[in-house]
Amino acid sequence: MTTFRQLLKGRFAVLGVVVLVALGSLTARLWGMQVLSGSSFAAAAEGNRIREVSLPAARGRILDIKGRPLVTNRPVMAVTAPATISQDTTLVAHLASVIGVPVDEITKRLASYKAERLAPRVLKLDVPMQTAAYLAEHSADFPGVAVEESAVRVYPGGSLAAHVLGYTGEISETQLASGALPDAKIGDIVGKSGVEASYDKVLQGEKGFRRFEVDNQGRVRSVLDEGAPRAGKDIKLTIDRDVQKVTEKALADAIAEAHRQGFTKAKGGAAVVLDVKTGAVVAMASAPTYDPSIFLGGIKQATWDALNAKSSEYPLNNRAIQAAYPPASSFKAVVAMAGLQTGLLTPSTAFNCPGFWTGLGKQWGKWCWDHAGHGTLSLVAAIEQSCDGYFYNVGKRFYQAPGEKLQAFARTLGLGSKLGIDLAGEVAGRVPDAAWKKAYNQNYPEYQQWLPGDTVNMAIGQGDLLVTPLQLASAYAALGNGGIVVRPHVLDAVLAPDGTASVESSVSVVSNAHLTAANLATLRHALVGVTTVGTGRGSFVGFPISVAGKTGTAQVAGKDDYALFACYAPASAPRYAIVVIVEQGGHGGSVAAPAARQIMAKLFGKKYTTIHTTDVSR
Amino acid sequence: MRAPLSRILRDRVHLGVVLSTVALVVFGGVMVWAATMTMTGHAALVQRQYLGVGIGLIALAVMWVLDYQVLKAWTGPLMVALSLLIISPRIPGLGASVSGATSWLQIGSIRLFQPSEPAKLLFIVVMAAIIAEYGGKLDKTPDILKVVGLASVPLVLILLQPDLGTGMVFVAIASGMLLVGGMKARWFGVFAVAGIVLVLAVFALNSVLVTSMNKPDGVLIKSYQVDRLLVFVDPTRDPKGAGYNLQQSKIAIGSGGLTGAGLGMGSQSRLNFIPERHTDFIFSVLGEQLGFAGAVMLLALYLALMASALSVSASSRDLFGALVAAGLISMWAFQILENMGMTIGMMPITGIPLPFMSYGSSFMVTNLAGVGMLLSIWSRRYGTTTT
Repeated sequence: MTTFRQLLKGRFAVLGVVVLVALGSLTARLWGMQVLSGSSFAAAAEGNRIREVSLPAARGRILDIKGRPLVTNRPVMAVTAPATISQDTTLVAHLASVIGVPVDEITKRLASYKAERLAPRVLKLDVPMQTAAYLAEHSADFPGVAVEESAVRVYPGGSLAAHVLGYTGEISETQLASGALPDAKIGDIVGKSGVEASYDKVLQGEKGFRRFEVDNQGRVRSVLDEGAPRAGKDIKLTIDRDVQKVTEKALADAIAEAHRQGFTKAKGGAAVVLDVKTGAVVAMASAPTYDPSIFLGGIKQATWDALNAKSSEYPLNNRAIQAAYPPASSFKAVVAMAGLQTGLLTPSTAFNCPGFWTGLGKQWGKWCWDHAGHGTLSLVAAIEQSCDGYFYNVGKRFYQAPGEKLQAFARTLGLGSKLGIDLAGEVAGRVPDAAWKKAYNQNYPEYQQWLPGDTVNMAIGQGDLLVTPLQLASAYAALGNGGIVVRPHVLDAVLAPDGTASVESSVSVVSNAHLTAANLATLRHALVGVTTVGTGRGSFVGFPISVAGKTGTAQVAGKDDYALFACYAPASAPRYAIVVIVEQGGHGGSVAAPAARQIMAKLFGKKYTTIHTTDVSR
Repeated sequence: MRAPLSRILRDRVHLGVVLSTVALVVFGGVMVWAATMTMTGHAALVQRQYLGVGIGLIALAVMWVLDYQVLKAWTGPLMVALSLLIISPRIPGLGASVSGATSWLQIGSIRLFQPSEPAKLLFIVVMAAIIAEYGGKLDKTPDILKVVGLASVPLVLILLQPDLGTGMVFVAIASGMLLVGGMKARWFGVFAVAGIVLVLAVFALNSVLVTSMNKPDGVLIKSYQVDRLLVFVDPTRDPKGAGYNLQQSKIAIGSGGLTGAGLGMGSQSRLNFIPERHTDFIFSVLGEQLGFAGAVMLLALYLALMASALSVSASSRDLFGALVAAGLISMWAFQILENMGMTIGMMPITGIPLPFMSYGSSFMVTNLAGVGMLLSIWSRRYGTTTT
């Protein structure tokens, strides 16, 4: 007995050591996991357990200057489902037939935005009560599919002011990446254009959240925590719904009138009504237009493609700020004022117009729009008759004078750079000068030289000069108010929940041309003459308000002439500046000016009857 | 003449064995209760487990009272019984296989027990009887080959079931007993190399057969077993599939920290993130709910049990008893290392439960019967009878 015990002694020691090593290594490993890196495992456990979804806040409403709704919300039923149902093809097919959305559209929506795993995807917004009831009754057949309350934008005016209001949609990858909306998450509905975009932060409100505890299958066990969303604020615009309606109608009528006059290619155009003192945009129209409600619940690809096709004339573009046109003869008011202010012209400066102008030599001769010529004219008569010959001479004077004074004055009136309106996408337009021409033609040395003809062309608003309808309106507002360029804006106030204004827009001066009273009077006299005895008289016959305006007929290579009219009124105490432009609409005096009269009739509460007149000027 | 009670107790009761066992059984009972808390049929599962403890205590008493030396004389019949026990689930009318992994002995529709559990004890007894023949000197090649050859019979049978987990337990038991039985270190080296070569050969043959017979589920080794091994090598592999269990188990244990989330608490346990949390992964529940402190407490209890078993082994009146005790130590040590090791990524995942902790009556009864055998050896350390 003792013998085997002695034999075994060392072996027990080995067995004991093996056991100790086994238990010791387990202990060491557990120390490392539980004590040293316990917190990171605890974080992983929390990550397993907790899921968070955000709760959308109700979007603020957009009201007109009188508090009437332009955009509101409507509660709707939305059919939602988690991404996981896409694996069940029979379910997806069945659902597709019930809610009337094609299978591939559903698949696409389920596949979108993977970031929030639990967040249900909206498959169809605004389903009828019947469909909602059907899905609720047959919920066993549609696991995961839910009918939820949601809200969609409602546009009481249909497409009214669509370009100002803009549309909403799911945030894009680029918008997310830009960091402009730091709180935004994939799947959020944000403003895409217009006021919806520029005041998105105000309208958006603050999202709420809901934290769930889930099990290993992702099933919700309990709600841990909830933060209620804070609704977005309402905003009041400077837009007057009634004036806006008339402005859009006037623009559409102008296009129809152009067709009547044989300019059948006329499709696009813009009209702007500004308050000359505050820069408030009273109305802003762009044609062709669109219905913002087509974007609700995600626009169909075919519809989107159609809106962006070349043949569509790009209805999503707000031509009032996103398109730049040659101002043509409407620019003569700016040239005249520039001449008066710089002393290159006086009210009595007279030139002879023989019809064909040879001021730069015979080989560079230019026709006046009236080939018969206007004879000898003063400044006022030249503006009234829109005489090109007269302004060719003015252009030549500016060319000969030192320092590009015409360009400088145009810029002081806000042309050639963005005015900074609170709408996205505004373009700068162009006031050409020697430096610009050199840079623009850097690859064509033979075209880099600024020539006398460039200034001469610019003096009749042609050449390389480009202005947006908004810039032109703003310039006319400045010509009416003494030379102060006020930043145009569409926001009147942000409203607190009780309806009082929490933020009010203030008048912001962009620049001041310091026009002298005498010069203002001279120009006013000339512009009133346009609508009484000049190229615009046909459109203003019998109009009780004195209007200071100027017609324009722009030549654009390869297209029919563009019809323009710019004005401010009442001439003696200007309140509004109005610009109407019809692309390929023909003559400013017979197509654009009647539209301006139609708008003014509304502004001043006067009766308007359709005007058919003729105009051959340019 | 009857001995006084205090003398009987001193002679027959090994305080270390009894106290550590009682503590482990209580601890295990609490853990099964806590682990099944949010499961459907919680009460029934707990009841069943406690019933298993009851049967196990009866088995313990029987083994205690029974003179273990009687078993030694029955080596031949016991070997036959062991083999029959191992293959019993394959006998038509007797066997049942649950989800292809656990084999049950059942008659009609009454499920009796998992034969692989008592087979472990029987294997220990048979091996002890065989090895004891050589009086603690196991150094002649023919002797060693004979012993290992005999040990291979039940091992091969269990591997053919296929029950890889129990097979590994058999190997661990045999190794510990051969160590105590006197096999030299170089022979362990020889068998280790032979074992590795054999395993590699099986893997190679399996992959050939998988492709030639076009059975992607595996022929000799199941594909899920291969997956588990690959996940062990690279835990980040397939986090939603084979790596999921390991990942969730590690999160549970790690998040327990020093003192744990508290009994019955812990999101990983409560919210079903831990798979098989009352059986193979019960330690993950313990780790999450009781933390490092609870884990160390468990390890200390295991250490106390095995140290006590070692003292029983050392004081056995014969080599057979010493070998049986060594076999039990090896069995427990390996199962503890493998089970706890797999929950923390130290060992590959196999279906080996944690002694006294995991849910399962057959397992509990077997472990308690093993404790009974220890006490039987202890009781008879001075002679066959003391009464």
